[in-house]
Amino acid sequence: MVEENLLVTPFGWGVLILIFTSILLTYRVLFGPTLPDRIVGLNTITTKVVIIIAILSVIGRRYFLVDLAVVLLMVNAVGGLILAKYLERRGKG
Amino acid sequence: MIEYLLLAFGEIAMIFGALGILRFPDVYTRLHAATKCDTGGAMTILLALIIYTDASIFIKLKLLVLAFLIALINPMISHAIAKGAYKYGIKPKVVVDMYAWDNP
Amino acid sequence: MSRVPFYLKERLEEIHKRMLYEKYETQKLPVWERITLTWIVLFSFWVVITANTSLDNLIIGGIATLIIASFMRDMLMEDVRHRGHLIEKIIYFLLLYAPQYLIIMAFRLIESNMKVAKNVIFMDIKPGIIKIKTDLHSDTGVTILANSITLTPGTLTLDVSKKLGETYLYVHWIYAETLNREKAGEKIKGDIEEWLKRIFW
Repeated sequence: MVEENLLVTPFGWGVLILIFTSILLTYRVLFGPTLPDRIVGLNTITTKVVIIIAILSVIGRRYFLVDLAVVLLMVNAVGGLILAKYLERRGKG
Repeated sequence: MIEYLLLAFGEIAMIFGALGILRFPDVYTRLHAATKCDTGGAMTILLALIIYTDASIFIKLKLLVLAFLIALINPMISHAIAKGAYKYGIKPKVVVDMYAWDNP
Repeated sequence: MSRVPFYLKERLEEIHKRMLYEKYETQKLPVWERITLTWIVLFSFWVVITANTSLDNLIIGGIATLIIASFMRDMLMEDVRHRGHLIEKIIYFLLLYAPQYLIIMAFRLIESNMKVAKNVIFMDIKPGIIKIKTDLHSDTGVTILANSITLTPGTLTLDVSKKLGETYLYVHWIYAETLNREKAGEKIKGDIEEWLKRIFW
């Protein structure tokens, strides 16, 4: 039973609020004064996307999407560590 | 009923985290808002999903593993970025800086 | 320790490291206990991720995780304190230590969310970077302590430094109340360090 309308449960409204906060954070990604500000904004947006995928998988009863959320979280971790390493390297030279 | 309370708490925490990232003055205080509010909000929303769903026990365990991984990974990335930003040359706006005393 | 000349300092550091290493060797777990603990963690992760309880899947997962655990035994369980029998350790961890830690951290997390909301509304911040000292020495213990400090209200770990067998943490505090090292350490670490010293050395 896949529900067509997203807004019949409070979790659907939760997805909308998460999308709204991601749009607010896009300001920090686009106009951040320095490079670490943009990285902070990107990491926060990725965590919100993981939560959105988990909520959609439970609402629409497509449970294979939970695996995809786990994989996206791990990719976020590796990407954040590589960007932090890049910042550290670039400051020295 | 309790899952909707948890969901509301998570959404409010997420909104205040986004406002904190927009309003705070420098990178380190923005990292405070990002880490704490993101981890708390994400874990409460996942707990609400675990209580709400009527799937099998393995799906609930997978969501619990997702919450555990978020609690493990998010602070780690946060202090990797903080150290990288300090080495990159961004001076924090602080009243006392003991890290600069020891690493001139 | 700051008056010691520079050429003696390296020597002293070496001696300290050797003493610490010998103490650590006597505290290390036996090999089969390390393999068993790592195998339990990996096998439970396998069962949860594959979500399949047929007999073939369990046998394949058990053999594969046993092979992995037999040569990765030093990575995860190296720093666990040597105390009690294996079964006693598992029961203590599952029934006493883990729920205690989870309850402490859950209340701290809720409190820190409220504190960030208060800071966002009123903007009453006075940030400072403070250096505190910990009694933990192992890598895993210091990592978990740093993660817990990051999640407690108002603090964020910047860096870790180890000098002369002692571990120091640099903490970014969003409202620096005191500059004294002991008072700040008590206020920041709280009872998490006491809890961690029972498991890690």
